Amino acid sequence: MSEIVRGRRPLLVAGLLAGLLVASAALAPLIADARPAREIPVEDVEESLADPGAEGWSDVPAATVPLASAPSGVPNADDTTVREVEVEAAQTDQRLFVRLRWADPSDDRSASSPRAFADMAALQFPVNATTQPAIAMGSANNLVNVWQWSATNNTQELLAGGPGTTTVFQQPEVSTQAARSTVGEGDGWSVVFTRDLDTSVDNRTQLAADADVSVAVGIWNGENSERAGQKAVSEWYYFPFGPDDGGAPFQTILWAVAGVAIALVIAVTAISVRRTREEGES
Amino acid sequence: MAHDDVDIAEGVDHQVAMVMDLNKCIGCQTCTVACKTLWTEREGTEYMYWNNVETRPGKGYPRDWEEKGGGWESEKHINRSVGEIPSQQDYGENWEFDHEGILKEGEDKALEPENTDPEWGPNWDEDQGAGEHPNNYYFYFPRICNHCTHPSCVEACPRKAIYKREEDGVVLVDQERCRGYRYCVEGCPYKKVYYNAVTKRSEKCVFCYPRIEGEGPDDEVHPPACADQCTTQLRLVGYLDDQDGPIYKLVEQYEVALPLHPEYQTSPNVYYIPPVAPPQHSEDGETVDVERIPRSYLEELFGEQVNDALDTIERERAKVERGGHSELMEILQDKNPAQQYRLEVFADD
Repeated sequence: MSEIVRGRRPLLVAGLLAGLLVASAALAPLIADARPAREIPVEDVEESLADPGAEGWSDVPAATVPLASAPSGVPNADDTTVREVEVEAAQTDQRLFVRLRWADPSDDRSASSPRAFADMAALQFPVNATTQPAIAMGSANNLVNVWQWSATNNTQELLAGGPGTTTVFQQPEVSTQAARSTVGEGDGWSVVFTRDLDTSVDNRTQLAADADVSVAVGIWNGENSERAGQKAVSEWYYFPFGPDDGGAPFQTILWAVAGVAIALVIAVTAISVRRTREEGES
Repeated sequence: MAHDDVDIAEGVDHQVAMVMDLNKCIGCQTCTVACKTLWTEREGTEYMYWNNVETRPGKGYPRDWEEKGGGWESEKHINRSVGEIPSQQDYGENWEFDHEGILKEGEDKALEPENTDPEWGPNWDEDQGAGEHPNNYYFYFPRICNHCTHPSCVEACPRKAIYKREEDGVVLVDQERCRGYRYCVEGCPYKKVYYNAVTKRSEKCVFCYPRIEGEGPDDEVHPPACADQCTTQLRLVGYLDDQDGPIYKLVEQYEVALPLHPEYQTSPNVYYIPPVAPPQHSEDGETVDVERIPRSYLEELFGEQVNDALDTIERERAKVERGGHSELMEILQDKNPAQQYRLEVFADD
């Protein structure tokens, strides 16, 4: 009786491990799809996606980016309303397209009376793409390049080196298109920013880069009188423009665990088979 | 420096100042029109009156501006009272009138705002005042930017787009730096910064700085247009730290020229000689020994100092009535432009 039990134990272990192997194999594709938390994937496309309603956007994966009130000394800085923004990015050989979509039931396009403020959105990049400046508008020695869209139908390209230092580029290279859109279950904005990847102008972020490029998002709700530092902002995210380094760390770890599990299964199975044979021979 | 015992802003060489004698204002709005013609006939500025004359007691311009916050919480100038932006209705809309149709084409209709039925506008409550006949009262109150020593509008701007000019303390909005956030509009307790919805930037009284610099076509120094054009010449213009000038004497020496709402703690550099109205009448029309404008109302505007100021004015006036000499009364009646407008005293600095 005891011999039989002894002989079955390795088989049981082998069976469990085999089950694990099957499960790993089934989960592997899901694991492979997981992205690092701060990555915004950039889809390669053939055609321009400058139109926020372009069909091509349906094939572009979206990253949901949480927003929080920016730290700022302006009055009511904590009073912001937009909690998250969907960020999608695509590139042709020449241009980058970034679409932001966020819920905002009120359509505030006017700043044409003393109390009226327009909805706005912005993307922030480090001027020096290999660095990550202070998130709040960079700093004096680490500048940021900001693309700002306003619902007044105005787009500006800005340079900043800390809060309150925003300076307008006289010849912007960024363009935008915006449309009211259904976001989630309500109305919101869908805004596409686009710019040539390559630039040769000082203080303008080079996007034709061989390294990941950091990006942050800011949203202002005009109805809530949000302007300046009273805005909802993200942390630094990044566009994975860098060389394929065998996958991002999170993915690599998951594959490593799966690999060890497979190796264990093979090893234990081999040992069990050998022992079973030995017992049979004796 | 000339201003050793005068409190002017740190980093400012000299401080421009204006004294307005409210006893001389007849509410003709010539100052308002002079300013408007010179500065606010551009697109987006139509609704603005950098200089306005409001009837007091009254709601003012913009409506109820004294209730909209701004300024500092204390004389330490650490925490600001944030304030709110007046609505377009509080200022009044830029109404259109059919002058062409009525005056040239003879249309038979009233000259009134076209396509709108306004319920408020600048000077809407003109001459209403307060009190009951025969003791009703009001006075006219000209207002410009106070070019404060501790300007809360300057502190409010996160971009430092609004600043106090080093040479003379004039508060200006750098139109290149301004991004139309309007923190200055809400931060000014006097509501003397205005938002231009066309340029998307804020604007304000510039103390006619090209005129006081002599940058006009004739290369001559001129006082601000509001002062220059005043029919009763009620304004004195100069520097607070010009100790030989009438402004210094009125403000610092005799203490009869008072800042409006000192409790806002911004230390204005526009000062007012408080109004002295005729005494009240009895029902029989007899003069009685009761002041027509209640002291309590003047205290609301100028603080408790108004009592000493009015007492000083009364005392000095009585002195002259008895045949005596009063430097204060002479200053208040001065008709010498060289004394009224002392804008070149520091030209050689």
